[in-house]
Amino acid sequence: MYFAYQINHTGKYDYDLVVIGGGSGGLACSKEAAQLGQRVAVLDFVEPSAKGTRWGLGGTCVNVGCIPKKLMHQAALLGTAVKDAKKYGWQIPGPVSHDWATMAGAVQNHVRSLNWGHRVQLQDKKVKYLNLKGSLADEHTVKGLSKAGKETVLTAKNIVIATGGRPKYPTNIPGAMEHGFTSDDIFWLKKSPGKTSEPAAAHVALECAGFLTGIGLDTTVMVRSIALRGFDQQMAGLVTDYMEAYGTRFAWKSVPKKVEKLPSGALQVTWVDGQTGSEARDTYDSVLWAVGRAPETKALGLDRLNVQLNNATGKIVVGADESTSVPNIFAFGDISEGRPELTPTAIKAGKLLARRLAGQSTELMNYDNVPTTVFTPLEYGCVGLSEEEAERRHGKDGIEVFHAFYKPLEFTVAERDASQCYIKVICERGADQKILGLHFTGPNAGEVTQGFSMGLQCGATYSHLLQTVGIHPTCAEEVVKVGITKRSGLDAAVTGC
Amino acid sequence: MTIVKSDSGIYTPLLQFIMTQQWLSLGPPIAHLARHIAPASFLVMAILIQLTRTRAPCWIAHIVNKQLSSSFRRLIRRSMASDPAETTRFDFLVIGGGSGGLAGARRAAELGAATAVIESHKLGGTCVNVGCVPKKVMWNAAVHAEYLHDHGDYGFDAGNARFSWETLKAKRDNYVSHLNRIYRNNLDKAKIQTIQGHARFTSDPEPTVEVNGRKFTAPHILIATGGHPSVMSDEEVPGASLGITSDGFFELETLPKRSVIVGAGYIAVEMAGILCTLGSKTSLVIRQTGVLRNFDAYISANCTKELQNSGVDLWKNTQVKSVSKTGRGLEVTLVTKDPEKKNDEEKISTIQDVDCLLWAIGRQPNTNGLNISRGINTDERGHIVVDEFQNTSRSGIYAVGDVCGRALLTPVAIAAGRKLAHRLFEGKKDSKLDYSCIPTVVFSHPPIGTVGLTEEEAVKSRGKENVKIYKTSFTPMYHAITSRKSQCIMKLVCVGKEEKVVGLHMQGLGCDEMLQGFAVAIKMGATKADFDRTVAIHPTSSEEFVTMR
Repeated sequence: MYFAYQINHTGKYDYDLVVIGGGSGGLACSKEAAQLGQRVAVLDFVEPSAKGTRWGLGGTCVNVGCIPKKLMHQAALLGTAVKDAKKYGWQIPGPVSHDWATMAGAVQNHVRSLNWGHRVQLQDKKVKYLNLKGSLADEHTVKGLSKAGKETVLTAKNIVIATGGRPKYPTNIPGAMEHGFTSDDIFWLKKSPGKTSEPAAAHVALECAGFLTGIGLDTTVMVRSIALRGFDQQMAGLVTDYMEAYGTRFAWKSVPKKVEKLPSGALQVTWVDGQTGSEARDTYDSVLWAVGRAPETKALGLDRLNVQLNNATGKIVVGADESTSVPNIFAFGDISEGRPELTPTAIKAGKLLARRLAGQSTELMNYDNVPTTVFTPLEYGCVGLSEEEAERRHGKDGIEVFHAFYKPLEFTVAERDASQCYIKVICERGADQKILGLHFTGPNAGEVTQGFSMGLQCGATYSHLLQTVGIHPTCAEEVVKVGITKRSGLDAAVTGC
Repeated sequence: MTIVKSDSGIYTPLLQFIMTQQWLSLGPPIAHLARHIAPASFLVMAILIQLTRTRAPCWIAHIVNKQLSSSFRRLIRRSMASDPAETTRFDFLVIGGGSGGLAGARRAAELGAATAVIESHKLGGTCVNVGCVPKKVMWNAAVHAEYLHDHGDYGFDAGNARFSWETLKAKRDNYVSHLNRIYRNNLDKAKIQTIQGHARFTSDPEPTVEVNGRKFTAPHILIATGGHPSVMSDEEVPGASLGITSDGFFELETLPKRSVIVGAGYIAVEMAGILCTLGSKTSLVIRQTGVLRNFDAYISANCTKELQNSGVDLWKNTQVKSVSKTGRGLEVTLVTKDPEKKNDEEKISTIQDVDCLLWAIGRQPNTNGLNISRGINTDERGHIVVDEFQNTSRSGIYAVGDVCGRALLTPVAIAAGRKLAHRLFEGKKDSKLDYSCIPTVVFSHPPIGTVGLTEEEAVKSRGKENVKIYKTSFTPMYHAITSRKSQCIMKLVCVGKEEKVVGLHMQGLGCDEMLQGFAVAIKMGATKADFDRTVAIHPTSSEEFVTMR
């Protein structure tokens, strides 16, 4: 390692690589580069949320995203498990109550341990960590501003921007920012949010509403148009149907108008019911906005350097190799235009970029067949195309959709309704029946989907699924048993083993 | 709706279908035909077939031919069955109504074969009645016990939960009965005749079986009688018959307070895990030092450790010497001897007050009473020997599933049964099951998933220098905030320069549901590079497989 350090040391710049942003992607990129012998610094600085919430190193995923969300989702699943346990012969006296502070405290402690873990890893891998807010001064110079206002200047051969994004507030709704909060705050609340209204219906909104319902809170999702935009809409419908049965309220086709604080301290939300056109209002303890995320590009000084942005989204325009319009400046992750806002894609793209910058590889990130899972009460995992997108690309007659409504064994004794447990495999029609998309709702969807996504990566066809022996009794085996086509119109319910 | 009824009292909905759906428009005098069906069924059928051939569009002719021939045969068969001296003929005769037999029978019937299934007990076989299904229900109940430990850590106050075995058993039995009914309905819907009783091959020159004094034959006979748990005889171990097997486990009316499980295979591991987790004080007696010794050593060692962590009292290098009955239950006498320490004396110990001694020492094929000695070869353990196409050594007789002793798994039997049906009744000459890369899960705590070769097998077949191993072990995120912990371990066995993945082994939360997709990829010949190219799903445990270094 030391030898490599010497070779790369040109003397011209302080660093071979400076990464702005210490989230999933930035950390992965900087660590990989350092391991390949590059001199690397990473700048990370968390601007407190509008509500004043702040957190440590690791970015959205670790602090205000995937990790706390999945843990709270687990808590909600345990809430369901209590109900199931009774059916499985467990006698649990009295009603089961949930204490927010216990759960949130444990989750926050875990997140802090991860923050610390990231610090240690950077040190181990000889990446210089600077708790500074970075911006570009010129193509090779990064200015870092400390919390106290002290400026540090670093020069670098290559600069990578991976500052991610932050949740937005609606701009035209009085009281929205004053009385509401976002996913930046929910995981760090000391007290239970209580009865919660959640305007918007992206996956973050549904996931939060799911776990809030699961721990026993009265939760309403307000949906302007459709839920889970960009996802297969049949699947999205199953996810929200399950949530409605689970106890989450939905105010469909509703547009929030204003949020007011009543003398009692309760928040009164007024909205327009799009179906009737009339105004409606209700009071809540909390309003959680999940209207989307915006890139953190404004304070980066990109305009000075003519780094090209997408005017509509504010995101940085990038090439297949994550390059921006300025040759030695790169961007990836949530801040780059057209990329999936997912931790694993950022990590992978960051590592590959580091390898290319270190001259070790020419491999580009493949953004096709990126699997993902929505951790709603009924989990939804998918990889490849939605049915809508497959139809758009191949035509209705060009695809064959195999599907099955199955009943997980864990639902039977627990007497749970399994009407939304569904599998859909979208294939090219005729010839090899190459799989274009695979969708699964059910328990453990995340764990189920990963292996199949690998199958898609290897170019799996429908017959590859059928040739694989099932694992009995599991939910995942239903994927390799799926045999009814949508076109046939036959009943897709699975019966028996 | 008109229902055609023949004189021998048989409804033939198929004929009704043909007439109402297709033939009314074709013009033949239906009523006239119907009147004549029973007395002159041969002739009329021939005419009907002729008509479909000449007049109906070709797809109708195809369906009608396929289905007519079977219902046609049924008519004849029924009329013959009235004479007990006669032998009833089918196209396909299946002995054993378990997973493999039913799957083969249903597929054959779909392909137009007149099919019958002979079952002596309940439909569904081992899997549904005393295997996978009730086992997993019990495992699920045990998983709830684990969750209840974790509730406090996740903020729930679930108080003092008590477990009622009786409630669970009643619901489990209900569910199993429900499945038995589904199977029955499925057979009826497929027009497969169910024959209740024990089948025995006769000495007739043509392969024939006898059930309750009636004879049945078919050009194709499938043996799918499965297996049953092995037991120790009282001669081998005095008092052995005081114990039960996994079959008896499913009859237990209460949760045993003190259990002793004997065996190191997956059934022993699963039974010990369920009983221990549900609150029975459980000892596991194994002859050597680890459980699951035919699994990858990484899994075997980890599972042995996890059993001990979860509170199972493990007796290594130990065998049961004798069992006796006392006023307070069974007294199990054990003999322990470490083969490594040659000079050590055998140690004799006893476990008192045992209310459940469970032998889980293997399974045996169900061939007793079948009288298969004539021309059907078996191996030294009594398994029916079959080739890759499931042919036995006697022409026209086949076998699938546990009775063959290879990959004792429901989905294997099902797949083999279906492949055979396609070969016999659809003319697909090459239709056979590929027994490589069969994924399997052990519902231990936490569960195990495995597919392909173990490291040992890979080294043996490819040489140590050609095998590369990737391993990882971590605490799943679920346990990030729980005081109860379990590890997740994963291993990839790769061979050759291209690092083709020939084995995948894991134990940890969620591994049961993780395996299937990877099994597809490994079956396709995935390499380590394919794993690396796959984008992770975050945060899951399975993503560790695609981010391994």
